[in-house]
Amino acid sequence: MGIWDAITDLIEAATPWTTAEAEAPAAQEEQKEEQEAATETKDEAKDEQPESESAEEQPAEEEAAEEEEDEEDEEEIVDPKEKFEEECKESKQCAPAKHHFDECVDRVTNASGDSEVKEDCVEEFFHLAHCASQCAAPKLWSVLK
Amino acid sequence: MLARSCLRSTRAFAGARNGAINFSKRAASSSSGSAAEQSPLGLNIAAVASTAVAAGSIAWYYHLYGPTAHAMTPAEEGLHPTKYPWVHQEWFKTFDHQALRRGFQVYREVCASCHSLSRVPYRSLVGTIMTVDEAKALAEENEYDTEPNEQGEIEKRPGKLSDYLPAPYKNDEAARFANNGALPPDLSLIVKARHGGCDYIFSLLTGYPDEPPAGAQVGAGLNFNPYFPGTGIAMARVLYDGLVEYEDETPASTSQMAKDVVEFLNWAAEPEMDDRKRMGMKVLVVTSVLFALSVWVKRYKWSWLKTRKLVYDPPQASNTRH
Repeated sequence: MGIWDAITDLIEAATPWTTAEAEAPAAQEEQKEEQEAATETKDEAKDEQPESESAEEQPAEEEAAEEEEDEEDEEEIVDPKEKFEEECKESKQCAPAKHHFDECVDRVTNASGDSEVKEDCVEEFFHLAHCASQCAAPKLWSVLK
Repeated sequence: MLARSCLRSTRAFAGARNGAINFSKRAASSSSGSAAEQSPLGLNIAAVASTAVAAGSIAWYYHLYGPTAHAMTPAEEGLHPTKYPWVHQEWFKTFDHQALRRGFQVYREVCASCHSLSRVPYRSLVGTIMTVDEAKALAEENEYDTEPNEQGEIEKRPGKLSDYLPAPYKNDEAARFANNGALPPDLSLIVKARHGGCDYIFSLLTGYPDEPPAGAQVGAGLNFNPYFPGTGIAMARVLYDGLVEYEDETPASTSQMAKDVVEFLNWAAEPEMDDRKRMGMKVLVVTSVLFALSVWVKRYKWSWLKTRKLVYDPPQASNTRH
């Protein structure tokens, strides 16, 4: 690392046709993998102890059982929030956000696999959800007790 | 060009008075034009080059400092919750205590299996959410440690009104262990402890989408919730339509349960709110009366001074000299 490297670094950072990366992307992925590996080993450590397993499974089973009962008992309850937000998503007010979100979903689902850049639709989803909940909020409060 | 237009304006004034000056100025302006015609190529090159330098330096500056750098992506920031028109947040409104009762039922039947509410004693439920007898019966359902007896043993006794609501786990480590490493926070002050307060918690509880948006990365053991900073939350969706059966037969939709439990949690965080608002009204009424009174007293006390009239009575001018 001589002084020439420092100068070329500066020039690279200042020239308009380069992209500045806050962190090296490749290194980040490696870190993620390491973290996953660490969590896996933790999970394995937990599996060795049988008490924890039963404790984890029990509430899950109970919840599942409750859900089934509820579905049988009261199917007529419709969540007004979901209803209003669905209406709002289709409304003219949220048409631009919905258009962008749908386009993004199409792009991501079709292009996944071969392309190197991993795009997600989180931001488009945020805009759509924000618009829908904003539009549904007063209607929702007029319905809820 | 600027010089020429300046000259024209002065000419309008000067022209009528002095024709000679007018003529000489016109000669001067035409001579500067002839100087530019002398070397058009050199001047053109200079103009183009200086324009290019100016435009280029502006472009370079905007490349370096123009785009705003965000420390976090929107996903890391989390979706900001929508503002809901909570009735209890209005100036002259109290908590809806029927809603508090429903919310406490939701907490007890749903949230309490993981989240503690360690700063709320049974006695505080009396009169706000339950009657004394109901609260006593609820307290007696749980066992608490006694004082050491004669032999130094600590026995168990049924709960009293002065006891606090029991926590689902013995300590934080047990809570983490049972929840795959994630600690369910204590809910006593959660409304005050989160940005967005009631709106945030309501949005979080009802905001789980059916499936994460395309391409979103959801970590192992996490669930996608747009309102949670980072969008990966360890808590799965817990509120489903009809999960709770309300005693006042309110239809228990997801948003209804979320609204009730959020209002209850707001009460848990600031149980003094109703009293505080009433006290605030008293303070405003009394201080405004006292202020008006003090203004009147001041004006009364100062009236003799403020209403006096100073008159200068000059001695009568007389022509006689003494």
